[in-house]
Amino acid sequence: MDPEATEGAVVSWPAVFVAIFGAVAALSAVAVVLSRNVVHAALYLVVVLGAAGAIFLVLGAEFVGWTQILIYVGAIVVLLLFGLMLTAAPIGTHALDNQQRGVAFMTSAAVFGVFTFIIWRSFGSQRIHLNQVVRTSDVGRSLFSGYILPFEVVSVLLLAALVGAIVLAKKD
Amino acid sequence: MAMTKEQRAAKLRELEQKIASKKGIGALYGLAKGMSVTMRTMLKPAITTQYPHVKPDLPERTRGVIALKEENCTVCMLCSRECPDWCIYIDSHKDVMPPKTPGARGRTRNVLDRFAIDYALCMYCGICVDVCPFDALFWSPHFEYSTDDLSTLTHEMDTLAKWMDYVPPPPALEDGAEDPVEVSKEAVSYGAPAVAAPVATATAPAATATAAPPRTEPAPSQEGAAADSATPAGGTTEAAETQAPPAREERHDEEPPQIDQEAYDAAIAQGKPDREARALAKRAWILKRRKAQS
Amino acid sequence: MIFYHFFSNPWAVFALKLAAVFIFFLTAPLVLGYVEHKGLAHMQSRLGPMEAGRFHGWAQLIADGVKFIQKEDIVPDAADRRIFMLAPMIVIIPVSLVFLVIPFGPAAVSCHAPAGTGGCGFWGENFDVGIFFVLAISAISVIGMLMAGWASANKFSLIGAIRGAAQLIAYELPLVLAASAVAMQAGTLSLVGIGDAQKAYWFVFPQIAGFIIFVIASLAELSRPPFDMPIADSEIIFGHMTEYTGIRFGLFLLSEYAGIVSLSAIAVVLYLGAWHGFIVPWIPGPIWTLAKIGALSFLVIWLRATYPRLREDQLQKMAWKYLIPIALVNILLTMIFKVVF
Repeated sequence: MDPEATEGAVVSWPAVFVAIFGAVAALSAVAVVLSRNVVHAALYLVVVLGAAGAIFLVLGAEFVGWTQILIYVGAIVVLLLFGLMLTAAPIGTHALDNQQRGVAFMTSAAVFGVFTFIIWRSFGSQRIHLNQVVRTSDVGRSLFSGYILPFEVVSVLLLAALVGAIVLAKKD
Repeated sequence: MAMTKEQRAAKLRELEQKIASKKGIGALYGLAKGMSVTMRTMLKPAITTQYPHVKPDLPERTRGVIALKEENCTVCMLCSRECPDWCIYIDSHKDVMPPKTPGARGRTRNVLDRFAIDYALCMYCGICVDVCPFDALFWSPHFEYSTDDLSTLTHEMDTLAKWMDYVPPPPALEDGAEDPVEVSKEAVSYGAPAVAAPVATATAPAATATAAPPRTEPAPSQEGAAADSATPAGGTTEAAETQAPPAREERHDEEPPQIDQEAYDAAIAQGKPDREARALAKRAWILKRRKAQS
Repeated sequence: MIFYHFFSNPWAVFALKLAAVFIFFLTAPLVLGYVEHKGLAHMQSRLGPMEAGRFHGWAQLIADGVKFIQKEDIVPDAADRRIFMLAPMIVIIPVSLVFLVIPFGPAAVSCHAPAGTGGCGFWGENFDVGIFFVLAISAISVIGMLMAGWASANKFSLIGAIRGAAQLIAYELPLVLAASAVAMQAGTLSLVGIGDAQKAYWFVFPQIAGFIIFVIASLAELSRPPFDMPIADSEIIFGHMTEYTGIRFGLFLLSEYAGIVSLSAIAVVLYLGAWHGFIVPWIPGPIWTLAKIGALSFLVIWLRATYPRLREDQLQKMAWKYLIPIALVNILLTMIFKVVF
């Protein structure tokens, strides 16, 4: 609770919470893959994304944390569940194996390796100072000054994806 | 403002029509009007009556339940047979009565043993009431006869007879109509002559539109004593017979409704026909009793 | 002195605030439910509940609650048991969390709030990203709705849940866009800050389009009539709640009414001047806030009594073709207003 209280402690409270939420996220992620029911898998995904949001919150990134929950939990997973239920989502266990385990394992291992490497290389030596909570106004300022170009590029990319989806979905 | 109230209202209505028929504004106007209707309804008092606490103000001839005038039933079984639900149960036996003239054959007569209506089956079509040739079945305005079990919804003769008390008196004949059969001489002629004659004279004015209400209400009646002993409907010996046994009177928890003289006079003073006046008076009496009881 | 000590203990203040929020969360929906019983009844020329508690049926909702608790907790045979039982909690927890950030009054002037108590004022917690928190957390409820609908193993429940999800996806957008225009005008995301910013004038005046969009989108998010297609009782029984009984059903109902109160409160803070009063400004702020929340909640009931349910395609058309473009234009105008003045 009190930032002063954690000063000098061997294990700080935020670190404990990060560990807990990280474990929850990792276990749920495994459950997403191993679940025999698509809807259960999607609900485990909710837990994964929620735990990721919680980690952001613990680390003082309020804006990012709530964005994670609003966008991923509130919109993307809802859309995913919506799609599942609209097509086929029977209750009970059903074999969801499509005989591509090897390829899937290779792909995910590669993605994991690449991401770990990139993150380690970029932020491995940085320390987070939990005493100062990141203000939303600072996030906005840096987003619209230092990072304006990547921000706009991502916007255009999303717009292109949107237009592409509409073109694909249109029948005539 | 020289406009009258009606003119102003008409002008407003015209304006309203004009607004409502416009495309964009009209829709908004409709939405707003809907809101105002609900708000106005909310501010008006509700029309619900708090039934168990407040008795409903029902019309005189409400069709609440079917009542049985036991003494009129001849066990002809027409009602039972016409009933679409087969919900009327009738049991009877034949009685042999002593002959009218000595040495003749004894008269047989149907005696009603059981008359029951299963109100769990009844659909209140009223065909039995229509089809009864002897006016033994009536629509009664009584309606509080629910029970907590389906099987006890079959109501027996005694209950059905009790509901007769709520039936308002029959409408009087129109002015200048022929006398009912009971009153005319032919009908009376075969009865015991000693009794029949005074009864006929006593009931005749009661049946026409002018005279005072009969039965247990002696005050307004000029021929008091005679009217006391006679019923208006059954002027024959049969009426005298059926009225006699005290057993039937004992079965009633409540005494039969009487005529409230005040209400009767008031209604007559308002220029209402006798028939309506008597019905109103009877109703007023029932309401008074209810008030006194609760 | 003892009071000073008590209030300087962050845990005591935190517990006190939590208790106050919890009590408000439990009582406000009951009061609103009773007002709806009576208001709807009188709008239909009826009396509504009259028996429970003797005086005009004031205890009807309490009696209903007792009834819900007593009833058997039935889980259908074909249902996905765990998800079925979990769904009502997923629906109600986000709704209750929203109550934590509703500000009822301004920040106290002389304030020595110890750290970790959420600052001093009539609110549970003053987040830097308050409005964002509200929007994010209330979006979680729909997952509970989908879970309930799917796990019930009932086609009507599933249809209800899918309708609910489609509705939420469509109306979350205008809601967020309308709220972000307000955040732009106030220059802050904090609910307390937005309330403070309306000292001079209420934001409903410059943001009238945003206010209308916000109210419509809130109604749709709450699946309240005329946007109650997810639970349209004449078409699909009761949507995702069809198979629920007892306390779990009661939780769904509680979350519906709590949702009305919380979204009304948010609308009051965003548009109707929060705790700022008019004509009689000496009335304390929290009472103003409560009165405004009550008025807005009554509007929700009033709308329910007045308008018929929209069709599903009309609902989608309204969101995508009208509300979202208008909300975007509203943001643009707010931006120009902000930059120019």
